[in-house]
Order: sequence, then C-alpha cells, then structure tokens
Amino acid sequence: MSAPSDNMPIPAPAIHSKPLLIRHLPYFIGAAILVALAANMRFDGYVHNILLQATTFAIAVFGLSVVLGLCGQINLAQAAFFGLGAYAVGIGTTDLHVSFWLCLVGGCVISLLAGAFLGMSTLRLGGHYLAMVTISFQQIVTLVMINAIWLTHGPDGVSNIGRPDLFQSSQSYLAFCVAMLAIVGYLVWHLSDTKLGRAMRAVRDNELAAGVNGIDVFRTKIYAFALCALLGGLAGGLFAGGFAYVSPDQFSFAESIVFLTMSLLGGVASPIGSAIGTGLLILIPEWLRFLKSVPGLYLAIYGLFVILIIRFMPDGIWGFVADAFARWRAKLAAPPVAGALQLKPAMTGGDTVLEVTGLSKYFGGLKAVDGVDIAVKRGGVHALIGPNGSGKTTTLNVLSGLYVATAGKIVLDGTDITNMPPHQRTASGLGRTFQNIRLFRSMTALENVEIGAERPGNTMVGKGDDALTERAMEALTFVGLGNRANELISSFSYGHQRLIEIARALASNPTLLLLDEPAAGLNSTEKLELHELLKRIAAQGLTILIIDHDMTLVSEAAQHITVLNFGRRIADGESMAVLRHPDVVSAYLGSE
Amino acid sequence: MDLALQLLFTGIGIGAVYALVALGFVLIFRATNVVNFAQGEFSMVAAYLMVVAVEAGLPYWAAFIVALLGMALVGVVFNLGVYYPLRHRTYLPVIIATIGASILLANSVLAIYGPQPQVLEGWFETPGIQVGPVYLDSQYLLIIGVTICLVIFNFWFFEKTLLGKKLQATSQDKEMASLLGISVSTMIMITFIYSAVLGGLAGILVAPVLFVSIQMGSTIALKAFAATIIGGFGDVAGAIIGGLALGVIETFGAAYISVPYKDGFAFLVLIAFLIFRPQGIFGERVAEKA
Amino acid sequence: MRLTRRDFATGIAAGIAAPYLIRSANAQGATIKIGMCAPVTGPAAESGGYAIKGAKLALEAVNKAGGILGKQGELIVEDDQTTNPGIVLAFSKLASQPDIVGFLGSIRSTQVHAMAPDVIKLGKPVMIGGTDPKLTHMGNQWLFRFRPNDSYSGRVIAEFGVNTLGKKKWAVLHSTDAFGTAGGNALTGALEKLGCTTFDQGYANQSQDFTPVVLAIKQSGADILGSYFTFENDLGIFARQLRQLGVNIPWVGSPSIVNITALKLAGPALHNTYGVADYAENSSEGSKAFGKIYRDSVKVAPDNQSSWTFDAINVLSAGINKAGSTDPGKIREAILGIKKFPGAEGEYNFDQNGDGLHGYNIVKNEKGAIVFDKHIEFND
Repeated sequence: MSAPSDNMPIPAPAIHSKPLLIRHLPYFIGAAILVALAANMRFDGYVHNILLQATTFAIAVFGLSVVLGLCGQINLAQAAFFGLGAYAVGIGTTDLHVSFWLCLVGGCVISLLAGAFLGMSTLRLGGHYLAMVTISFQQIVTLVMINAIWLTHGPDGVSNIGRPDLFQSSQSYLAFCVAMLAIVGYLVWHLSDTKLGRAMRAVRDNELAAGVNGIDVFRTKIYAFALCALLGGLAGGLFAGGFAYVSPDQFSFAESIVFLTMSLLGGVASPIGSAIGTGLLILIPEWLRFLKSVPGLYLAIYGLFVILIIRFMPDGIWGFVADAFARWRAKLAAPPVAGALQLKPAMTGGDTVLEVTGLSKYFGGLKAVDGVDIAVKRGGVHALIGPNGSGKTTTLNVLSGLYVATAGKIVLDGTDITNMPPHQRTASGLGRTFQNIRLFRSMTALENVEIGAERPGNTMVGKGDDALTERAMEALTFVGLGNRANELISSFSYGHQRLIEIARALASNPTLLLLDEPAAGLNSTEKLELHELLKRIAAQGLTILIIDHDMTLVSEAAQHITVLNFGRRIADGESMAVLRHPDVVSAYLGSE
Repeated sequence: MDLALQLLFTGIGIGAVYALVALGFVLIFRATNVVNFAQGEFSMVAAYLMVVAVEAGLPYWAAFIVALLGMALVGVVFNLGVYYPLRHRTYLPVIIATIGASILLANSVLAIYGPQPQVLEGWFETPGIQVGPVYLDSQYLLIIGVTICLVIFNFWFFEKTLLGKKLQATSQDKEMASLLGISVSTMIMITFIYSAVLGGLAGILVAPVLFVSIQMGSTIALKAFAATIIGGFGDVAGAIIGGLALGVIETFGAAYISVPYKDGFAFLVLIAFLIFRPQGIFGERVAEKA
Repeated sequence: MRLTRRDFATGIAAGIAAPYLIRSANAQGATIKIGMCAPVTGPAAESGGYAIKGAKLALEAVNKAGGILGKQGELIVEDDQTTNPGIVLAFSKLASQPDIVGFLGSIRSTQVHAMAPDVIKLGKPVMIGGTDPKLTHMGNQWLFRFRPNDSYSGRVIAEFGVNTLGKKKWAVLHSTDAFGTAGGNALTGALEKLGCTTFDQGYANQSQDFTPVVLAIKQSGADILGSYFTFENDLGIFARQLRQLGVNIPWVGSPSIVNITALKLAGPALHNTYGVADYAENSSEGSKAFGKIYRDSVKVAPDNQSSWTFDAINVLSAGINKAGSTDPGKIREAILGIKKFPGAEGEYNFDQNGDGLHGYNIVKNEKGAIVFDKHIEFND
C-alpha cells in the first residue's frame, strides 16, 4: 500500500480563527430561547398539539434531509420508520410496561436496523426501483400494523401511551421535544461538513466520481438510510409520547408523501429548510380550513402547490435564501493561502507501477478489450492511444474498477487490484479524472478537492479538518485556482473544471494518475497550460497514464506510448518510434 | 380444481387491469425515464368522464369516445404542466411533481363531483356466463379481450409503423433521435397522450366491476407499478405478463394463505424480484437491445 | 436572571395571545355553541355530509322550539379529514374555544380513540357514534354514545339468525379494521354462546376482488352469513360476486348493508338480505318523524349517518336545558338522567357508562326497499 515514506507532519495553520462551539453560540442561544418559550408560554390545547406535531414531524423530516438532501436517495417510507418508533414506545410503555426511555431507544434501534436493511437494497438498485422498494416496505409495515392484532392491537391502535416521569406535563414534554429538535437539527446541520456528510454529497452529485475518489458508495448509502430511519424512529417515539395514541393510519404511505413534501417545500438539503417546510405544511392546511366547505378543494390546491414548488423553487424555500447567501459569502471569504503541493507517490513495487496482463472486457459478444498488456514504468508520462472505439476508455474503466474485467490481471505498485471495487483501488493509490468531467456540482471547488484529499491511506494529510483543507488548498493552488477555492463548481469554465478534477486526484497523493482525455474540449491556451501542468506533476515523480487522441499533447508529453485498435494492442514502445509505426499510421489514417 | 379454475379466471381478469395500467407506466418510462405516479388517476378521471357522459344522455359508445378524447386532453395538459417544464431535471423532482399531480387530480374530481361512489353499467347486458364450474364475468372477459388486442396492437404499432419506430428511437436515444430529425418533444407529447388514453381505457373497463370512486385509481396503480417492475421496467411484454402474474398470485395467495394480507403478496413478490432478479422477467432481452 | 427571562417569555406570550383573547371575548355570549368534528374531506366525506345535515336539522328544530337556555344554538364544524391525526387537530381546535359547551365526535371508533385523551383533558361532554364497546368502558366519563354498541349488533345478528331464521352453521365476514374486528368478535362470541359453529374470515379494506372470500365461504358449508363491512364499495363488489358465484344463503349484515350508497352500488345483489340498523324509518314514531324532515330537506333517504347526529344534538340540547347551565358536570348528570327519550334511532335510556341505546332493529331489503322487520332490545 502507501509508503510510510518521508512524509513530514505538516504544521496546521489556524484556518478557523474561533473554536466551533463559540462560532455556533448564536444557534444554541436561539435554541435555548425556543426551549424556554416552549416550557413557559401558555398555549391552549390546539396550539400545543400543532406545535408538538410540528416538532416531532420536523425531526422525521430531518431524516429525509439526510437521505434525500445529502445523499440523493429517495425514501418513500419515512412514515413507516416514524411508525416503528411510535409503536415501540406505544406497545412498550403500555403492554410491556417498559420505561419510556428504553422504548425510545429500542424504537430507534429497530428503525435503524430496518433502515440499514432498506439501504442494502440500494446495492443493486437506484432511482425508481429504490422508490418502489421503499413503497413496498411502507405498505408491508402498514399491513402488519393493521393485521398483527396480537402485537399492535390492529386498527384500534394503542392508547394511553406513557411519558417519562420527568416530563409528565404537556408543557414540559413539548419543551423536551423542542430541545431534541434543536440537538438533532444541530447534528444534521453539521453532518454535511463531516467526512461522512461530504461522502454523502459526493454520492448524490456523482456516484461514479465518488467511487473513484475513494468513497465506498454502497456503505455511504446504507449509513444515510440508517440515519434517516433512526431520526424517523426517534420522531415517532416522541410523537407517540406526546399524543398518547397511535394507530396504523397515522403511518400510511400518504403520510410518507407528506413528509417528503415537507422536506421539498422547505429545502431538502438543510435542516433549517426541513423545519420551515414542516411548519408550513402543518400550518397551511390549518389556515386553509375555510376552503374545506368543498370537499377536496384544499387538497387539490395542495397538490397544485407541490407541482409549483418543484417547478419554481427546486431547492425549496430555504434553498432559495441560502443560495443567495452562499454566493454573497463566497465573494467575501478569501480562501486561505496555501503552501506548495507535495506529491510523494508510494514506492513499494519495483520499477513497474502498473502491470496489466491479458486484460479483456467483453460485453455480451462484443470484445471491447481483448488480451491487452500494458506495463507503465515508474515516473514520467505513459500514453494510451487509439482511434475512436479502440477500447481506450473501456480499458481505463476496467483499470479504475467501474467495469469488472472479463479476464486478465491488474497489479498496481505490487498490489493485485483486479477484483477490487473502485473505492478500494483508490485507497490503493489510483487517482483518475474523467473524459466528461465528473465533479460534485453542488459543492465548492475546495470541497471537491477535500473529498480527494480524504482518500483512505493518504499519508500526505494530517489529522483533522484543517489539515484536510490545507492539503486541498495546496492542490488547488498547484493547478492555479487557489484564489477561487470557495466558489461553486458551476461558476468555473470548462477548462478550469478539468483542472479542479486533476487537483482532486492530486490531493489524494496517488501512486498512479489516470487522465482520461484531459485535453478534450480545451482551447489551445488551455492545452498549453495543461501540458505545463503535466510536466510539473511528472517532475514530482508521480507517474501519469494519459489517454488521449490529441497527438500533439501525447507526442510532446509522453515518453512511452501504447496503441490500441479494435480492443487489441497494436504497438507499444518509446513515443517517436511508436508514432511512426506503420500499423499505427494506418489505424489513424485508415488504410484499406 | 373447480375452485382453482375460478380463482385463475378472476386472477387473470384483475391482472389484465393491472397490465393495462402498467402499460401506461412503461410507455411513459421508456419515453421520458420517469415514473408517472399519477397514472392511476388517469384511470379514475376517465371513469368519471364516462359516468358524466352517460348521465348526459350519450349512448354508451359515444360516451366512451368522449371519455377517451377527454383523456387525450388530460395527457396534453399533464405533459405541458407537469413533465415538460422539468424535463431537464433529474428523476426525483419529476417523481414528486407527478405525486403532486395525482393529489391534484384526485381531489379536483372530489371537489367537482363529490365523494359518492358511482355506478357505471357494463358494456354487456348479461353480467356473465357459467361455463361448467366456472362463472365468467362478462366485464372481465371484455377486459381480457381488450388486453390481448392491445398487446397485438402495440406490437404492430411499435414494430411496423413509422410513428411507432420514431417513438422507439426517441425512447432509446433522444440525442440520436433529434439528430435524425425526429421532434423529440412531439414524440413525448404523443407518448403522454397515448399513455393517458390507455390508463383511461383501463379505468373505464374496470369501473363496472370496482365502481367509480376517487380511490379506485391509486389502489390499482400501486399494483400496476409493482407489475411493471416484475416485468422489467421499460418492457411492454413484461408489463403485461407482470400484471397478469400479479393478479393470479394475489388471488391465489388470498385463497390459500391469507385474505387480510392479500395486498402484501404483491409487494413481497416485488421485493423478491428486486433482490433476486431486478432486471425483471424479460430483463435479459432488454439489456441486449440496449 | 431567571425571573427576567420568565417575564420576557410571558410578555411575548401575552403579545401573541392577545388577538386570540380579544376575538374570543367578542364572540362570547350571543349563542350557545356546539362543536362538531366531521369528515368533510377524505374517504368518508360523503357520510360526513349526511352527518352535518342531520345535526343542522336537529339544531334548527331546537332553535325554533326556543333554543338552548333561551339562546340560539350554533353548530361549528371542523373537518377531521377522516383521519386520526385530523380529528385530534380538529377537536383541539374546537376545544380551544372556551365558549363551546358540548361536542359531536366521530362515528368512527378509531377516531374516538384518538381524540379520547384530549376529551378527558378538556372535561366537556362529547357525543359519539363510534360503536366499539370499549369506548364507553375505559373510564372516560365524557363520552356519550348515540348508537347501540357492537356488542349489541353482534348479539342481535346472532339472536335473529339463530332464533328467527333457525340457522346454526355461520360464516362471519368482517373487515380487519377496528370496526370490523370488534363487530366480528362480538358476533362470533354471541354465536358461540348460542351453540353455533362459525367460520371466521377477515378481509382488508378496499379489496378489488372477493372471489377467494366467496369461495372460502362456499367451501365452509355455512348456511347463513353474518357480515361487518366498512366501505360500501367493498360491500357492493362482494355482494355481486357472492351472487354470481351462486351463494344464496341468508345474509344478515351490519348497518352498512342497508346504507343508501351500498343499495345503489350493489343493486339487486342485496335483495332479500337482512341488516341490523340502528336507524330504521318505520321502527318508531321518532324515526318516522325524522325520516320525514330529512327527506323534505335533503331529498335522499335518511340513514344512521344522519340520525345519530340528529339525536345527539337533541339530547345534548335537552340535557343542557334540563341542567339549566352549561357547566360540564351538570350537563353530564342531566344526560345520564335521560330516560325514555324518543329519538330517531329509538328510545334513549342512558346507563352509567354513557350508552344511550341497547338494542337494534332488524330490517329486510325487499327489492331495494328497506322494510322494518323487528326490534330486539337487551336489558343487560
């Protein structure tokens, strides 16, 4: 694996001037005021019920903001998880006479496990299938709630549900729920800045790129689902204690849709949005009760609003506000100055960094790659070229693990990586970029590169977030974009996006860097810059395997060239010799 | 044995309804890569249109045509109002917009026509015929017949006509289709119209059996959706087979295992499929085509 | 520090609450207000409309006859959306208006269960139509029932089928929701006491097909069918398939079997069936009178959805007038003291649990017309 070479611990400069807790003090003060208000204000029963419902629902919607907002996976079963938590508390405190706290924790655990199980189905399924799996799960949970009368009391529901002794009065219980909401909200808010949160966002923005940047996509999704379910269960448990009665129709598919709409209305990506959405969707129907003299009218309007929100406010209400704020802040905040990027590729294997033998990839009857051998020497630039459809990109995809090889062996720096999934190859020291750029579009340049720097086994980055940021800044500075680190990806030109992608790979300190047509779509100035950049990378001893059909770039940058055609290797050797090889010339110019 | 035959007939009958709605799902999915959660509401709206038209004094066949024309219009509005503005976004917003549309449609009908379930007479005077031990409901016979005709029609339409081939091309590769001079947005519009009409047809056919109610669409649609996945998403033949299989499984499951958990069988079968054979019954063939 | 924060909180609270207080102060005094939770939207929206109609008709009559405590009665309806969370919110919204003196709850037992904790908290009388026997037997003294509970319907179905029709091999079919399960259990229990054999079969609401159920009943060899259906669609589909598949045994059903929507949907398939009905138009003078008023005003045949709210308003108004005050405790005593009160559903004799009715009518569907057959009353 990576070499324990002469990596010096980098002194971490103070990037954040104040400790986290102090910077977030306003949040805690605000939360404390809310809790105090909940505890002391006199509400009538109606307002109290509305507040309690909003508070508990909001926690469940926070769960959705994790799975849907952060991780981009659809969950149409949040009401089922909510119900699991509610029934755990309901049945536990009444039939089993267990303490409220134990039931609450139990409900959370049950939901967590169910969520993880559901998350596992994402291994093979995405998108619509996932939507359907979650609906099925929802329906089955509802059916069990209705029909397993011995356990759930069936449609009668469970009544006289207990509360903890500490919060017997409605008022104190509400305050307790508001406090829980504040704590969960804080955690979810900051989840997106943690390693797991960044991984989730990367998975959401681009699963492929996440995989090749060292993120275990599958596990990240399971975590997201489990977390979402956990919050659903917690919310359900609190709800059951608050209303003292639960029945199956409170946890139906229709409720899952309500949760989803709440999440979307407020803004799926943030807990503040979730809270706004929840509050509005509980209050709006109450405000619009006058419309109910005509049956169906107000639900029809509700449906119409769902469509309009999706159409005109794609990121929800909060997304709309936050977006403006983020642009404003990006302009203000000057990125920290960074030192020079150091690349220390690991050197455990011999002279050959990448040894590919007999590599084949068949799609049904089509032999896209057929028995190709490639040996990439340490240091310098090696190019893999070939006309369109020659199998170059397929080879690269097999190398990075996006495709499973039909036959053959891939050894990276002495480690056999043939059967590893993409994120493990990355951990073993493989970095790559894509022909059509795959950046995480909702993030800033810096955040994108941080994900690269987070590669497991990256010895060039110290402990903690600050070290990560510093490493990422160095990589960005190295490609010349350090001063624009805090801007969103969408504000960069195509050429610059390509550089960011390279910086993301460099930050991970790879042993071998795979570049898939880095010159595609660049103008001549940018191509020159790219050429310079490749030289500087090679100068640090990092081996580059480049795939391109821009002959100028290849012939100038590469010392060694392998040529593919129709999935087979037709030439291999020192650059100039290969380019003059008659087979290569005819492959490019066409000869009958 | 008699029992099994009777169950088989009803299972196929109810399965044919699922299949018809599933067909609508598949067509829209193939053209737009979007699951239309309002597909069931198409059936419901059509059934109400039919009731209104019959009550207005139109002969049954004329009411039928009026209802289907109305559905074509619903398809146009649905495309322009729900799908088209979101066509460049990911599948998620579109799914949610269709969910919103389904709430809108169901409750608009409720607001206009009231909550009373309605009766729609069947196409035939005789309610059914007794063949040996098995009673054949005439409406179910009609539904099965229409399903068979539609399978043949779809095959002919998509494989033999130019318009059908253009639609196929659009659903497989939009960029390529537009390079060939096919107007992608027209093709998608046609798909929505066709799919709304198909859903409407299913609703009108099933209304005499299940009565006309606001909820009729959503219950069928969920099963039809399951059928679509069992059949392998995007596969027309798969949707039909999936629908029929689901109807039969459900009926036999209810008879021999448990009536109250009847709705659960569909979802259990679905989950089993998703875990062990996510590509559906005919998945392999689709993969080769792609 | 603590004190000031508390003051701050109360200050804000007062500011927010002020408009509320002013509004409720303005509204005070002009009328006597009765709150009603009814399904204006959702699956039961149709019957909700009937229920509101029944209540309004009763209140009009009460107001013409001098009103409540000399004031006009006013009905305030909140939509319960046919859901449990819906009714909890609807009820708490009504409960927060201090000048509402009494309430009409739901005809659905689960909804009454859902609102019950809030009813105890509020401590004002709530009239209900939910027929789960437990509702009035769980220590909630503020619930008053205006329909005979399911222990009676089960006993009446059993009594009628066994003693009048002379059948002992029963099939019992019920929905698996709260209403159906409770009813099915009550019927099965009563049949066991009468020494009958029973074949018990549950079904889930909104089933599209009942072939397996019908065939199971056919196979069981039962010679009589007792049923508890919740939704009319289900009843209609089942009735048709039952007849189509050649099952023609006598059938005694729960009240939904004589409900007008069911009659419209199922048509001839329900001819010659029996139903227990809390409301039967010709069962008493009171029911005839209600039938006339309702037909004149609404133009459809009356059923139990409207009759129980009609009676509930009448009894509540009578109770308040008898108590001479709107004090909840006094109203409660007055209602519990009501005996031999002639209502649309029958004669009300409240017991200490809050159950007003203790028997059922048996009616027969004769070619689509509902004909009163007999009344069966229990004294225990």
